[in-house]
Order: sequence, then C-alpha cells, then structure tokens
Amino acid sequence: MIGMNKELLSVSSKERVNQTYKIETENLNAWFGTKQALKDINIKIRANSITAIIGPSGCGKSTLIRCLNRMHELVPSAKVSGKVFLDGVDIYSKNVDPVIVRRRVGMVFQKPNPFPTMSIYDNVAAGLKLNGIRDRKRLDEIVRKSLEQAWLWDEVKDDLDKPGASLSGGQQQRLCIARALAVEPEVLLLDEPTSALDPIAASKIEQLIVSLKRDYTIVIVTHNMQQAARVSDYTAFLYLGRLIEYDVTAKIFSNPREELTENYIAGRFG
Amino acid sequence: MVRLMDIGLERLKNLVAEMGEYSAKTVFLAIDSYGQGEDLMDHLYVRSKEIQKMHDEASELAVELIARYQPVASDLRFIKSCMEIGYGFLRFSRYAFDISQVLRLFGDVTVCDKKEVIRAGEHVKEMVKISIKAFIEKDIDLAKKVREMDTLIDKMYLETLKKASKTTNNNIKCIISEVLVLRYIERIADHATYIADSVVYIVSGEKRI
Amino acid sequence: MAYIKDKGGCSRIMQTYLVRKFKDKFAYAVCLACVIVAVIPLGSILFEVTKNGLPALNMEFFIEGPRAIGEPGGGIANSIQGTLILIGLTSLIGVPIGILSGIYLAEFGNNKFGKIVRLTNNILAQFPSIVIGIFAYLTIVLLIGSFSPLAGAIALAIIMIPIITRTTEESLKLVPNTLREASMALGIRRWRTIMSIVLVSAKNGVVTGIMLSISRIAGETAPLIMTILGSQWFFSGLTEPMDALTLRIWRLALLPYDYAHTTGWGAALVLIIIVLSLNILARILTRSKFVLRGV
Repeated sequence: MIGMNKELLSVSSKERVNQTYKIETENLNAWFGTKQALKDINIKIRANSITAIIGPSGCGKSTLIRCLNRMHELVPSAKVSGKVFLDGVDIYSKNVDPVIVRRRVGMVFQKPNPFPTMSIYDNVAAGLKLNGIRDRKRLDEIVRKSLEQAWLWDEVKDDLDKPGASLSGGQQQRLCIARALAVEPEVLLLDEPTSALDPIAASKIEQLIVSLKRDYTIVIVTHNMQQAARVSDYTAFLYLGRLIEYDVTAKIFSNPREELTENYIAGRFG
Repeated sequence: MVRLMDIGLERLKNLVAEMGEYSAKTVFLAIDSYGQGEDLMDHLYVRSKEIQKMHDEASELAVELIARYQPVASDLRFIKSCMEIGYGFLRFSRYAFDISQVLRLFGDVTVCDKKEVIRAGEHVKEMVKISIKAFIEKDIDLAKKVREMDTLIDKMYLETLKKASKTTNNNIKCIISEVLVLRYIERIADHATYIADSVVYIVSGEKRI
Repeated sequence: MAYIKDKGGCSRIMQTYLVRKFKDKFAYAVCLACVIVAVIPLGSILFEVTKNGLPALNMEFFIEGPRAIGEPGGGIANSIQGTLILIGLTSLIGVPIGILSGIYLAEFGNNKFGKIVRLTNNILAQFPSIVIGIFAYLTIVLLIGSFSPLAGAIALAIIMIPIITRTTEESLKLVPNTLREASMALGIRRWRTIMSIVLVSAKNGVVTGIMLSISRIAGETAPLIMTILGSQWFFSGLTEPMDALTLRIWRLALLPYDYAHTTGWGAALVLIIIVLSLNILARILTRSKFVLRGV
C-alpha cells in the first residue's frame, strides 16, 4: 500500500512513543452563547500521530477541534477562553492572526464541500490563488502534489478542468483533503470526514489518513468508535464537554481507565 | 485491497514465527545438552524469560488487533490461533528449562542409559520443527504429520513409565530422571500437536481432523 | 387487505377513495385554470404590441429623431439612446451600492443596525416612484438648475438599489455556510471569501436581481417626467434634458394623430425587446460553466 505506515499499530509495543507535542491546550473552555461546550480541556497532541476524539453527540468533539484552528469564533455568539499552543505559541494571544493559524492548521469537514463553481484544479489551488499566488508553474506543481498525496491524481489527472462537484462523494472528500493539503499545513483537523460516505469510500479515506501521518499531525473527530480504533494512535474520550480519558488507542479500547469510557466504547450508552 | 488490519496480521504472524524459531532452538539446546550432560539451566532460564516477553507482546498485539479492527472469519480464527500457538511456544521454552533443571538437580547422570531419551528427543525435535513450518506456511499436511508423529512419543513415554513401575534397578536416580525428561518431552510433543491443530483450524476452520 | 372485506362488502376506505381521487383531480384543474387566466393578459399584451408596433418599424424609425408635431415620419432613435443611457448610468450608480449593501446585510447584518437597514430598504422598495421623482426634482434638478439625465439616473437608482440589495442578500444567504467555512479554513480572509467564493456561488441570483431591477427602471415614466423632462433631441450633455422610450410613448399616446399612435406602439415594442434581450444576455453570461450534480 502506498505510503502505508508500519508504525500504525501498537503504541503499546516498545518502539516509538513520540514525545514531541504539536498542540497543547491549557484550561480550554468554549461557549455557544451561555451554553458551555468545553470545560477545562487539557490535552497534548503528539506530532506526526493520529489522535482521535470520540464521544456521544453533543459532547463537544467538533467544538474542540474548531478551537484548534480558531474556527469556533466564526460562529456568532461563540466564545473561547484558555490557551492553545501550536509549537509552543498560544494561538489565542493578541498578536496572532487567525488567518495564519488556519493556514497552518487545515481542516476537512463532515460533508464534502468542494467549491461548486470551481474546477478540480481550481478547487485545489483555491487556497493559494486567493492568497495571491499566481505563478502557474508553482500552482501546477502543488496541485499535482496535493492530489497525489490525497490519492486522487490518477483518477482526475485528465479531468482537471471538470467541476469538483462532478466527482463521487468519496472523490469529493479526497478533493477536499487535497485542497487542505495544498496550502501546506502542519496539522490536519478532520471533522467526521467519512460520515457522509459509503463504507468503501470511507475505508479508502481511512487508509489515506493513516498514510498522511508521516508528514502531518492529524486530529480526527469521529462518532464511529471502530474508526477511531482502526486509524488512531491516541484516543481522547469527551463527555459533556469534559475530557474523560486520553491515552494510547490500544489501551483505551482494551483496558480503559475510566468506567465511563468503558461504558461508552462498549456501547452501553451514547 | 490491502486493509489496515493486514499490516497488523502480518506483524503478528512474524512475531509468533520468530518466537517459534527461538523457542524451538531453546528446546533443541535443552535436549542436546541433556544428552551431552552439559548444565545450561541458567542460560535456558534467561531464554525462557525472553520468550515470556515475546509471548506478552504477541498476545497484547492480538488483543489490540481485535479491539481495533473487529476481525471476523479467517482473520478472527488466525488471531485466536496465534494466541494459542504463542502459548504453545511459551510452554516449549518452559519444558526446555525443566529438562535442564533435571540435569542440574540430579547432577551427573552419565552412568544412566539415555538411549530412549535421546531417541524421543530427536523425534520431538522433528515434531517441533515441522509444527513451526506448518504454521509459517499454513500447511495442513505438515500439521497432520505432527499429529501422526505424536503417537510414537506417547507410546515411548507410556512404555518407559511401565518399565519404571516394574523396575528392580537400584539406580533410582537414573529412572526418575529418565521418566521426568521423557515426561517433559511428551508434554512438548503434545504442545506441538496443539500447534498443528491450530494450524488446521486457521486453514479449514475445523477443530480437529 | 382485510379492510376491504367489510360488513357491507365495501369498506370506508374504498367509499372515500373515489371522493379523494376526484378532489385531487379537481385541485389540479383549478391550478391549471388559474395559470391560464394569468397568462392571458401577458399573451394578449405581447400580441397587441407586436401587431400594432411592427408596421412602425423601418430604417428611419431606428436612426432618426422625431419630426415636428403633426408631421408624420421620423423615428425614435433619440429615445432609444436616452433609455440606454439611463439604464447604463443608473446601473453604474445602483448596482455597486445595491450589491455591497446586500453583502453587508447577508454577511454582517445580523445585528440591530442590519435590521434597521433591512426594514428601511423594504419600505423604500414599496415607495411610489412618483414620490422618488419629486424628491429628485426637489434636490438635484433644482440644485443644478435644469432637467438632466443625471437627476433621472439618481431617481432610478433609488428605485433600483432596494431591489438589488434584497435579491443579493437573499441569494447570498442561500449559499451554504459550509462553503464559507471551507474557505475560511484554508486561511482565506473574510473579504476574499465573500467576493471569490460566496458571491461567485450566488452569481445567478445576484444577476437575476440586477436584471429584474433594470426591467423595472426601464419601464418607469413618472420619475422621468420630473427629472429628464423629455426632448426632441439626442443626448447633449449630462445636465441637459433628454428623452426616454417611456416618455416618448406617453407623449405620442396623448397626440391625436394616427401616425403618432403607430410610432408609440413601435416604441413600446422596442422597449420590450430591449428588456427581453438584456435578460437573455444575462442568462447567457451567467450560465454556469458546469452542470452541477447534487450540490
């Protein structure tokens, strides 16, 4: 398999345990109006690993990752307090431009959302073009590289002028991943990236995500526990806005520390 | 399509195979050293501890694979069997250590007649070899062969036991040590048979042939 | 199907079945009839205008101005020119303001100020156009000291802006929020997102709004009487009186001569054709390069 990372399994075994933290949150709280969505989240996300965030609907999973690239504040009435360090720098400090944060921390959404008026090529190049990069040769290069990384190049290389919306659901989502990769982020946030896809397309995306781990730090929100178990190195369990447990994935799924976690992953509630 | 699980399954197989080779060598060492009267107990103790660690790692990986991928059908049978086969290898090394312990406790047994033990030892070495090969190659015919070979060991053990019960030989040390070592060899042969059964289970889903 | 075998051999469901089937057919027939009733006036207007206007059309009609009153012949070229100038000038003023305020209301207008603007805008859209004409007369015409296309364009822009604002706002709101988020998440700034992603996605609705407002102002007469006055001559400067098709039709209709009525019908036909072709042009220009699938 292309780029498949042998390190996928077993953080439990002796090799590995990457200790560089890419993102750290410190007493992160988030609100929608008066409703508190996140309560004192402290989590350290390791570089070049896949961290899954699981929990029942409304537990704050999506809010948490939206706080990691300052997308949360785009919702009217949304509020954030606490700190989020990206490579040691608090992205919520006054002199940080949220636009720059979002360029470093890319995001892929639940429903594939290619820009409907743009071709496949323009979709991928959008982040660069709209930020003023016009050099055609450089754009060509990045578009190709991004599509290759997203395992889409072979399928679309002859149809780059076709609309992004003409692709199948799974292809559209990979196009969205390519679009996010094109601005060369360091972190990739995935908000339930396969929940709108059929199982085969979803499985392809899962493998793709694992292959991206070598170059990116990945945080994936999923309401599919099995997906978290399959792809992630670390798993965080959120419940009612609190971080209940955060550990190596194999540990969470074979021997969770908290009873609440056990009850959730065993399907006793949620 | 290659699945994420396949990488894990491959790794589990390699881990168990590696463990098998290592525990087989440990068994050979124990049997050979007994024949030559060479005390290797300390060395074999270290080896059996290493194999214990390998076994822990393999079973942890097996549990992780189940937790992560919810394997079904042949994948599930394979993982379950790997756990059992790993345990078999662990027993190999444990009995190897026990054999060396007999030599240590009984001291010099050069005066005893070891012909029967050596014959059984060579036979069980062959069984161990074939059982590991059967696992690595998922070869059902080799597995069947192991089961057939087991009958000879059982017969030898039983005869030795009968002989011992009727003996008038006053060198009690020789008799006890012979019976003990044959007993361990018989256990090793049994575990080799279980491993062969597991191989059959992986391939065909049948518990026994 | 146990319910069919009722005591009387015919169940309630079966009894009412025919009634319900009839109701369904009846409702459909009523709808169809209403549509036909609505289409009749439109069809008959088009028919009348074409029938009466066609004889007036000839070369002279399109290239010459009107002759002295009572003298047959001549054309309405100055009026066509005037109407086109008015459409252009008004659009120049009205389209940018309308679109930008539409963007404001859709993207930033979720507050008290936005609500007030929205309300005012809706009231303005309902204003009688003659009042707007009087307003332009009192401010611009009296200020400059003469009737002028400028005053006309400003009066028409006041009619145009609320239409464009409202249609722009509504089409922008139809653009799914996921597109805005996708763009913002790429590190694209808000303004760029609105202009290059949201507005482009809403292009069809926005252009439709512009066309709608142009059709509306092209047919206005009352405000023009008080702003450009009307004239026998071609365009002669932004501060001189000018003619327009609607004014010309109105004046011709008042004359007691047959030739004048024919010319009037011709002018009406030309006006309809102008509006129609602008609409078709806009449709062609905004036709999506892509046939969208399931968005």
